[in-house]
Amino acid sequence: MQRFIAFVVRFKNYIALCVLVVMSFSLMSFGDLAQLGGFRAVIVGSIGWMQSLFAWIPNPVALKSENTALRELNLQLSLESSRSRQAMVENTTLRKMLELQPMVEYRLIAADVVGKTTTQMRNYATINKGTADGVKEGMSCVTDAGLVGLIIGASDHYAVVQLLLNRDTRVAAKVQRSRVDGIIGWDGEQTLSLKNVPRSFDVQAGDLVLTSSYSAKYPPNVIIGRVSQVTDENNSLFRKVVVEPAVNFATVEQVFVVEFLPDSERVALERDIEERQRQRARD
Amino acid sequence: MAVYFDRSQFTTNPALRFVAYGVIAMVLSVVHVVFLRFVSVSSVTPDLLLILTVWIALSEGQFVGLFAGFLSGLLFDAVSADVLGTNALAKTFAGFAAGYFYKEGFAMQTIGSYRFLLIVSFCAFVHNLIYFFFYVRPMQISFGEHFLIYGIATTLYTTVAAVFPMLVVNRKKDS
Repeated sequence: MQRFIAFVVRFKNYIALCVLVVMSFSLMSFGDLAQLGGFRAVIVGSIGWMQSLFAWIPNPVALKSENTALRELNLQLSLESSRSRQAMVENTTLRKMLELQPMVEYRLIAADVVGKTTTQMRNYATINKGTADGVKEGMSCVTDAGLVGLIIGASDHYAVVQLLLNRDTRVAAKVQRSRVDGIIGWDGEQTLSLKNVPRSFDVQAGDLVLTSSYSAKYPPNVIIGRVSQVTDENNSLFRKVVVEPAVNFATVEQVFVVEFLPDSERVALERDIEERQRQRARD
Repeated sequence: MAVYFDRSQFTTNPALRFVAYGVIAMVLSVVHVVFLRFVSVSSVTPDLLLILTVWIALSEGQFVGLFAGFLSGLLFDAVSADVLGTNALAKTFAGFAAGYFYKEGFAMQTIGSYRFLLIVSFCAFVHNLIYFFFYVRPMQISFGEHFLIYGIATTLYTTVAAVFPMLVVNRKKDS
């Protein structure tokens, strides 16, 4: 026994290291913070409250960048405005002719970004609207430019948005022109990438990328960005498609939370099928 | 009611010191989440809790440094909405590495000199190597390339931030 105690005392640092490493791995396998439920809401609320206290401090670099972006957006919008007026008239006529239902419009909840968290290139934003305003976990956030991200946690008066520039981002997307489907992800750069696009599929630089109706998380037809580069790699069956996000994440200050939650019946069915396939694979 | 507080209690009473470390860790994690966006360069920010971990390991030894790293990492994971355990693991190793430079009775000499910066940069390197390994794993990008860009940048920025505590201790030492 004494030998054992002497051994533990002698190698206590290494033993403690092993124990802590095992604990860290256990926590990692336990999953992300979302599974901690109420604990998370307390953290989101406290951090959001503190961030809102200091939200008045201007960030000159961000302001300059925002100014430039707004000028560009203004120019684009004035051009788009005249085009869309014409398209709207045409659209109404064609819809009548085809007897199609108008697209579902979702209620938007306006919110201010009161804090941004950049942690080892993980990007989150805290907004000043929470469950008391109708914001729920799983809703998506947009601006006039396009998709911002997904609400991953909400307290009474604050919510945390996981921005598109996050390693956990997976968005079912489609190319507007050719209707090619893919999955939007982030690889740590300032751009996004459209994955799972086979080499033979038609994607060109300049194409607009939208959220797909296949997505169970995001509302369909929201602008994600524009294709800036398409490359075919020799040893891959898929194309490398780089997408420039429509939203300038450095300057985003106001967002709209889209009151869109995935259809629970659809999610349950998809989960059920997935579980059955997993079960079959195990057997 | 005036409260008189003897600062020498920190050197004689370990329990009080550990409570102070805990409070400082909480303050630094809040500072990180709320204020560091103002000094971020291309999304890279200094790791203040890592500097604290190194400080604790140099002052208290490897054993305490290990736990300081684990707990500060866990705190960081919680406030930054990161996957629980990733920062805890990386900071545990950083605290362990920093503990090798512990010399009983010479903590302030080490922290107040350029050696502190070298230790911080070494520990930040170890920390980022482990952290980015788990960070990059679920993504389709090269670990080496990503680490060279962001891992080294974060290491350098953390080392630069460590200049401030070094200068404060150095000044106290001189006076």
